[in-house]
Amino acid sequence: MQRDLHDLWGGAVLALLGLAVAVHSAVSYDFGTLRQMGPGFFPTLLGATLAVLGMIVAVPAWRRQGQAAPVALPEAAAVLGSIVLFGLTLDWLGLVAATALTAMIATLPSERRGWRWRVVLAGALALLVWLVFSVGLQMTIPVWPWSR
Amino acid sequence: MTVSPFRSLMAVALVALSAGAAAAQDWPTGPVRVVVGFPAGSSPDTLARLITQPLTQRLGQPVIVDNKPGAGGAIGVQQMLVAGNDHTFGVTINGPLTTSQRMVDDLGYDTATDIAPVALIATSPLVLGVGAGMEVDDLAGFVELAKSRPGDLTYGSVGQGSGAHLTAELFSGATGIEMLHIPFTSYAEVTTSILGGEIDAGFMAHSAALPHVEAGTMKVLGITSAEPSALAPDLPVMAGQAGLPADFRAELWNAFIAPAGTDPAIIERLNTEINAILADPAVTAQLLAMGWQAQPGTPAELADRIAADTELWGAVIDRIEAQE
Amino acid sequence: MSAAEGLIFGLGVALQPTIMLYCLIGVVLGTLIGVLPGIGAMAAISLLLPITYYIPPEAALVMLAGVYYGSQYGGAVASILLRLPGTPQSVVTALDGYPMTQQGRAGVALFASMVSSFAGSILGIVVLVLLASWLSAVATSFGAADYAAMMVLGLVAASTIGAAAPAKALAMVVLGLILGCVGTDVNSGVQRLNFGSTQLMDGINLVALAMGLFGVAEVIGGIRGAERHGVPERVSFAQMMPGRDDARRMVGPTLRGTGVGSFFGALPGTGSTISSFLSYALERRIARRPERFGKGAIEGVAGPEAANNAAAITAFVPTLTLGIPGDPIMALMLGALVIHGVQPGPMMIEARPEMFWGLVVSFGIGNLLLLILNLPLIGIWVSILRIPFRWLYPAIIVFVCLGVYSVRGSTFDILAVAVIGAAGYALILASFSPALLLLGFVLGPLIETNLRRALLISRGDPMVFLERPIAAFFVCASVALLLLSAAQSFRRRGRRAA
Repeated sequence: MQRDLHDLWGGAVLALLGLAVAVHSAVSYDFGTLRQMGPGFFPTLLGATLAVLGMIVAVPAWRRQGQAAPVALPEAAAVLGSIVLFGLTLDWLGLVAATALTAMIATLPSERRGWRWRVVLAGALALLVWLVFSVGLQMTIPVWPWSR
Repeated sequence: MTVSPFRSLMAVALVALSAGAAAAQDWPTGPVRVVVGFPAGSSPDTLARLITQPLTQRLGQPVIVDNKPGAGGAIGVQQMLVAGNDHTFGVTINGPLTTSQRMVDDLGYDTATDIAPVALIATSPLVLGVGAGMEVDDLAGFVELAKSRPGDLTYGSVGQGSGAHLTAELFSGATGIEMLHIPFTSYAEVTTSILGGEIDAGFMAHSAALPHVEAGTMKVLGITSAEPSALAPDLPVMAGQAGLPADFRAELWNAFIAPAGTDPAIIERLNTEINAILADPAVTAQLLAMGWQAQPGTPAELADRIAADTELWGAVIDRIEAQE
Repeated sequence: MSAAEGLIFGLGVALQPTIMLYCLIGVVLGTLIGVLPGIGAMAAISLLLPITYYIPPEAALVMLAGVYYGSQYGGAVASILLRLPGTPQSVVTALDGYPMTQQGRAGVALFASMVSSFAGSILGIVVLVLLASWLSAVATSFGAADYAAMMVLGLVAASTIGAAAPAKALAMVVLGLILGCVGTDVNSGVQRLNFGSTQLMDGINLVALAMGLFGVAEVIGGIRGAERHGVPERVSFAQMMPGRDDARRMVGPTLRGTGVGSFFGALPGTGSTISSFLSYALERRIARRPERFGKGAIEGVAGPEAANNAAAITAFVPTLTLGIPGDPIMALMLGALVIHGVQPGPMMIEARPEMFWGLVVSFGIGNLLLLILNLPLIGIWVSILRIPFRWLYPAIIVFVCLGVYSVRGSTFDILAVAVIGAAGYALILASFSPALLLLGFVLGPLIETNLRRALLISRGDPMVFLERPIAAFFVCASVALLLLSAAQSFRRRGRRAA
């Protein structure tokens, strides 16, 4: 039998997260009283609530059948990886190079093969981004590796 | 001919030295970046732009304001230190140089060792504002009222450890009164709350309070600077009144800073240019309209100011922490 | 000056060619900036601010205001077409706007959003002119207890937006509330749940959260199989006109949305994002068949769009009548005035009538320009869908990153988008509602700080929530709503059992 894995996992992760928040808040921040709430009051309470709600979601899912939606793993890796790369390289490679690099990584999972369209896309996008943000909006952002 | 290692070392050192001197002379060799730890359009940002615009002409290179807001201005200082290449500087309010060390868990810099003071730009006094309905007309009356109802009066600030909070605590400590602190996130909220009668008082920038005084919805009882403000000459100075010491003074300020290790010749040059800009009556008038009093001075004077305020506010923070 | 005299006087100011020109520039820029994901009015206005040094103060204010309310129009476009909200306040528009696109009704959805945006703005202007002084009195009389009680009502009312299982919906709201706790606690100054990072001291960036949960998660899910989708046909003007049935459905939500937006816009601290959520919640509550929501109900587009536009107009009430900015964008506007030596405050309407009335009339002109500009653009926007997704999504990624970066120039926030995007994708896979997470995130800090502030001021006396009439009203309404929901679900369960 295929269990309802989404609710099972989703509920369990949320429950654990809630528990972690509640414990961390209870230990690290002053709880205060109902009349004089401390900084720990809300996070502790909310964390505990989330833990309970997570259980309510997860437990019935154990006995229920469900269908697993396909996970787009390569797509997720490429998209998230390209964002991380953009964040890490923007400051020292500059806007143009970081954009082109990000576009190349992001298009990796595309079903269309070949590299020529990817290069054209990366170049066009770098130009567009430079025109919009650097020229148009005058954002203070390094454009080239040497322009900071 | 063989060259002794010592001589070659000397030669390298000489070249390096002269290169350094030349660098200071040719400086700036590229765009100058001024990191501001507050968003565009905020008061510190507007002030920074008043300085950087004429600075562009004077240095012959574009001077660009780069806004890196966050953590009460501390992120701006952090970001300035990351770059540190004789072309990156900062304009910051007093907090990140004096009190942030005490308020932020992991500040990542130490004012004493990582920051080179360049020039104090301007100071802004605060005023004590109360709702128009409060039946006091001067500071003495307010202190008397507060003493007759210990712990009963409330005052708003823009957060724990903000200038408004620390000033109020300095004031309460010096006059021996006890008020309840209600933290808010912005002066807009504090003002609304005073107008609505939810809280009793608050320290705020005088330029922000004066329009409400004019409209008759707020009273201001005194100003925290040593001299009366040119913006409101009638407003009484707090020092020496209602049991406050004669040297009572609490001001926000804005300063131009550099990363420690910046060539002293560059700092000297910047200081000269900034003081020249502050001598321009048009600039001082614009600063005054925003509530800022231009304060030309030397880097050493800024260093003294940082040291004095770190001590002053450090003592206030000690007192607050002891109460908790 | 009476309202009629003021408007005539304002016409004289706003119809000057230079002012008209800056108004046009403002609304065009605003629309484009709203369409671009991530980069919102806040970033655009702060980037434009230095330019306003060189133009007269009335023109500067008119232009910046145009950017602000223009961005509310543009924000809906990507929301409806790509489920990619241009701004946080248009997140709600995606809930029903995107399903409409999937049903091939993108043109109708865009038309509905433009028309209800226009109606909301114009009615918002009427409210601003007629009720400004009343609204500003309400704004100052709202205390911490009132805010806390009102936001609790909002949370209770909106907690079931587009949710199948109640436990999953509530879990998302609570997770949002927890994320709202991250950063410096206003009341104590303690830094919470930030893992010692200075970058998180001011909390999680709202734009990063909205873009990660919606934009990035949507892109990941959309890549595979995107090429196989049919290319939509070119839409004619007749096809994007709502039918008689659609038009009839739009009237009520637009009017109610305007009411919600006008009220929350005028209160300092709440604004267009909260207005749009609450308008959606209201429509879903009173709908005869709430199950239609989330599946392309035109009411779910019309109401929130009217609300966020009305809120963008009435947000100027406390700003102009009291000199008190209700949100950071309004603070920026006041900053622009101060640069020009105009001291904002309660006396400004009398001291500088050309400012106030000129601006009010320019709102009308600007919104008219926006309508004229945007209706023909609908065809062009819809044709975005004809671009192959493989060309589109790398651009979306880069624009999202730069939009988030533009908020405070922080590359940390770009990395945060990746983390939030991963979580958002997981949430979509497991069919949790990210909109509810965002709702909790927006309302949570308001509830917590105001609740604790109210108790601080009352010295710990909880009766403050029942003694103040406004707070008492909202507390009672929240309890009534909770009981009603409980009774409804009980009855439904009973029926199912029978």
